Amino acid sequence: MKSIIAFLLIIFHTSEAAFASAKSANEVFLKEKGRDKNKLIAHELIDGEFYFSAIPFINNYLEDNNRIDSELEADIETLVIKTGSIAILNLEDKRLEKFTSPSISLILGTRLFNKEEYKKALDVLNNIPEDHKFSIESALIKGTIKNLERKNIEALVLYDSCMKKAKRSEDELKNEKLKKYYNYLFETCMIRTARLKIEEKKYTEAIEIYDQIDKRSYKWPYVLLDKAWANYYLGDYNRSLGLAVTFKSPLMESYFFPEAEVLTALSYYNLCLWDDSLSVVEHFYDFYQSKALELKDLLGKNKKSETYFLDLYYADAKTREDLNPFIRNLITQTRKQVKFNLDLASLMAAKEELLQLKRLKNKNTFTTNLEQNLDSTISFISKKINFYIKKEIFTFLNEIHKHSYSMFNLKLELLSKKREEIYKPNNVMDDRSRGTAENVKRKKNQYFFDFNGSFWADELGDYSFGLTSKCKTE
Amino acid sequence: MKLVIIFLILNLTSITFAEEKEKNTVYKYKDYEVIDLGSLEIKGQIIAPGDITISEKERKVFKRSLLEKDNFDYENKREIENLR
Repeated sequence: MKSIIAFLLIIFHTSEAAFASAKSANEVFLKEKGRDKNKLIAHELIDGEFYFSAIPFINNYLEDNNRIDSELEADIETLVIKTGSIAILNLEDKRLEKFTSPSISLILGTRLFNKEEYKKALDVLNNIPEDHKFSIESALIKGTIKNLERKNIEALVLYDSCMKKAKRSEDELKNEKLKKYYNYLFETCMIRTARLKIEEKKYTEAIEIYDQIDKRSYKWPYVLLDKAWANYYLGDYNRSLGLAVTFKSPLMESYFFPEAEVLTALSYYNLCLWDDSLSVVEHFYDFYQSKALELKDLLGKNKKSETYFLDLYYADAKTREDLNPFIRNLITQTRKQVKFNLDLASLMAAKEELLQLKRLKNKNTFTTNLEQNLDSTISFISKKINFYIKKEIFTFLNEIHKHSYSMFNLKLELLSKKREEIYKPNNVMDDRSRGTAENVKRKKNQYFFDFNGSFWADELGDYSFGLTSKCKTE
Repeated sequence: MKLVIIFLILNLTSITFAEEKEKNTVYKYKDYEVIDLGSLEIKGQIIAPGDITISEKERKVFKRSLLEKDNFDYENKREIENLR
């Protein structure tokens, strides 16, 4: 009973505060005639937690003014945190380049990076001070640019700075969601360091870094594939097979990595197990071809729809069950992306804000305009998420095609090896055993257990095959 | 009348060809030719296989490019795209 009263009091208090802010914003709207009018309205709205309603006013102000004072900087920062990249969506890059504000620089820098304008992105991101909260993301993006330019030492310094700052922020903060976000950034930068080690052919060092990622981490399934590559290049094909097979576990059924199939086939190939490799290639075509066609069909039929893919996300259990499990799992995989979750949270918050506006007493022209603007913002965010899911499916489809080309090449190579076998029968060992513990390379802290056909959560990621190479040893 | 003229023309032509055939061409051949073997020498030697063998040639191996992971550019870019 007490909690219900407390809840009602909070609701009452919140709506009263919101009403007061909306009232103040309306007063500014009616009285203020100066150039700061939009800035002041936005400030009042942000004060009343009408973040999405404040967006058009901030955008209008920035369109006509070049000066950002500390109050406005704080307001823009709040908007970026609460609404994401749509905070300054209506402004062109050219216009945004005029500002050195850290919040604007982060959004613009990310935008330029995604357009592959790396030099410009680097210049813009350099506007963010080293001690600013956005400097962690900035270090990650700048590190990525240096990484792409093959300036490895500079990239490593930036990734290291990103890790240290993210760890510090994670330890200092109390908010669980923020803690998770900083942990995500920390692990992303850590994985980048490991990837750079692979690029520098320091595979053992890379594996040691990967081993530090917690198995419960969101990033962990993605690490498995990287780690499998590191083992592959170390020549431990049995371990790379074991890592790739982890994706077959029922616990990971929503993760599809066509590249893992290619790596499996390549590992068998390097063990001179042509038939095993060929069967993986054949399975790839059997499994993915029909799925790719189905996805292509789905994209083709709904490519013009602005809601279909978002509706799939919101679909009831029955509709979801009717979907192809592959598509269902693909949507599940998309739901795990940070961007998707941020945009979805924005959509829900914007809808909640609209309800709040509708609940306001004393409606007037100003509040009606706010409602109309918010309606368009909600529609925009919905389309954005819909487009994002569509793009993810499209990217996945392209990935299948890309890897089917790799598989095609591998198949030709395998057929050629089999032909060679006929010409030179002594090229491979004839006595082929299906595996033994002797072939499992282990570290001091790794124990050996037989695989009895069932996957155990705590064993995931630690599997290794024990196959004997069929290649002739000179 | 026409026929008579054609007959006369044909007759005159055959007389002209008969006169040309009567000119005889005389071909004369050498009676003998001397070859000085002292100034010639035979170079090289006769090669004959001891048994029937075919020298083994390496089969042409076509190396196809298999998937390599030289960098993680694709994954790294996608991560930034999915950040915000």
